[in-house]
Amino acid sequence: MISFDKVSKQYISGQYALAGVSFEIAKGQMAFVTGHSGAGKSTLLKLVLATEKCSSGNVVVNGTDLNHIRRREIPSFRRRIGMVFQDHQLLNDRSVADNVALPLDISGFSRRDALRRVRAALDKVGLLSKEKKFPAALSGGEQQRVGIARAVVNRPSIILADEPTGNLDPELSMETMEVFEQFKNVGVSLLIASHDISLINRMEYRTLILKGGALIGDTGLGELS
Amino acid sequence: MSDKASSKRRHENPSNLIKLLRNHRKDALKSLARMLFSPLSSSMTVIVIAAALLLPSLLFAFNTNIAALLGEFQNNARIVLYLTRGTSDTQALEVSNSLLTSNAIDSVDFISNEEALLSFSDAAGFSQIVADFEANPLPASIVITPNLAGLAELDQLAASLDQIPEVELVQVDSLWLRRLAAISELLVLAARVLGLIVLLSLCFIIGNTVRSHIENRRDEIKIIKLVGGTHSYIARPFLYIGLFYGLLGGLLASLLQALIFLSFRNPLNEIFSLYDSSFTLPLLAPAMLITLAFSGATIGWLAAIISAYRYVNAIST
Ligand SMILES: Nc1ncnc2c1ncn2[C@@H]1O[C@H](COP(=O)(O)OP(=O)(O)O)[C@@H](O)[C@H]1O
Ligand SMILES: [Mg+2]
Repeated sequence: MISFDKVSKQYISGQYALAGVSFEIAKGQMAFVTGHSGAGKSTLLKLVLATEKCSSGNVVVNGTDLNHIRRREIPSFRRRIGMVFQDHQLLNDRSVADNVALPLDISGFSRRDALRRVRAALDKVGLLSKEKKFPAALSGGEQQRVGIARAVVNRPSIILADEPTGNLDPELSMETMEVFEQFKNVGVSLLIASHDISLINRMEYRTLILKGGALIGDTGLGELS
Repeated sequence: MSDKASSKRRHENPSNLIKLLRNHRKDALKSLARMLFSPLSSSMTVIVIAAALLLPSLLFAFNTNIAALLGEFQNNARIVLYLTRGTSDTQALEVSNSLLTSNAIDSVDFISNEEALLSFSDAAGFSQIVADFEANPLPASIVITPNLAGLAELDQLAASLDQIPEVELVQVDSLWLRRLAAISELLVLAARVLGLIVLLSLCFIIGNTVRSHIENRRDEIKIIKLVGGTHSYIARPFLYIGLFYGLLGGLLASLLQALIFLSFRNPLNEIFSLYDSSFTLPLLAPAMLITLAFSGATIGWLAAIISAYRYVNAIST
């Protein structure tokens, strides 16, 4: 569960990236965050992952009030969240399989158990054949899908995705959305930042619309019931 | 994956101890591999660490040998009691017999003034001088071989012997002992001070090496933090790097020390035999090797903990 209550974020530069944003994403709900470039989509996701702190208001994620989270509580908090980064954030000196295995490695899985899960995750994003390759040998779209596999491999209760289809063609974009839907169906909450309006329209999910840091639209409130 | 996901999750999560051991083994091997990846700079660091450890270690070892030598000399220490003029031989024998009852005294040897004169005149060229004496000018004496551990006890014994009425003068032949003991004390002090300095510089050297390993992997650490890596998960490989540097430095230091001892063995043993000492310089003891390796590893580990705490935490996400 994700809850924003009158959340504002002002960067050190003085720029307001978010202003008075309130919404809730329930367990098992999938929602898009959209808006033009610079509207505050990435900032919103960063607040959920606790890589940034809000300047005012309250962010509560999985029952944790992020205004009061302690530094040493952050790692275990993040392990319950799978994040797909816009710039992938892959380790260039590790194979695709090892990259995807990272969250499992942190959680102390044996190589055998980890490999089984890694293969399943890579299979979902259609990259099983590239498990031994290194990120540099992959296309942008493939790297993005490695990031998706890594985000889902530890079965998080929340999945965040920042422009996850930015490098993908329409067909692969739809496949990726189907992967996300599978997680939604088993109770995972998903928040997907995207400016791909045609994709969002095809998916018919709740959509939060940001403009200049303000929440100017929330289409899917009806679906909550 | 969608089937029974949550019920299976608990079952698949391994126990904390197994997790920990598994991660430790993996990180240890990975760290070793990273050190071997840049063998030149790694071995330079190890050599510097070894040299630093070698200084106090050699001092301590040298002092251990001096202390052994000191004990050797102490066993040879003698106290001579010169008796007052007019003490009869019977009185003197009574005194020496009563001395024998003391635990602090191993043996006594009474030398009457006639015996003293005799041995004096036996010495080449003195017989004429002795013949000219009107009376025997030499006092009777008792030579004591003490059975004591240290200089302080020796002094104490000498003081109590001075109380005996028949004793005119107590002579303790301990100048050498005192010099040696002073040198030994100085060495221990120097080794301690040096040890402290070396400890600090090793923390600095190893801490800095670990720091550069951390800086080299900055991007990786950032990503690991983003996906929920704990401080200990991130720091552990670097702790092993510190540990291995310290351990290898300690092993190299003990090897060098053995070589140094080996090259000094013969000349030093010759000196000892000149002093009529049965003492021989021991070669490297396994205890020294273990101590050096263990101290090196411990210092390395601790320095790495400090360094990792500072520099891993400084990488923010
Ligand atoms: N680290 C930062 N420091 C200062 N300003 C930032 C930072 N990150 C984002 N911003 C600013 O905040 C606003 C929102 O950015 P962002 O959340 O990245 O928007 P979006 O993801 O919708 O394009 C932008 O004006 C951007 O310049
Ligand atoms: Mg963005």
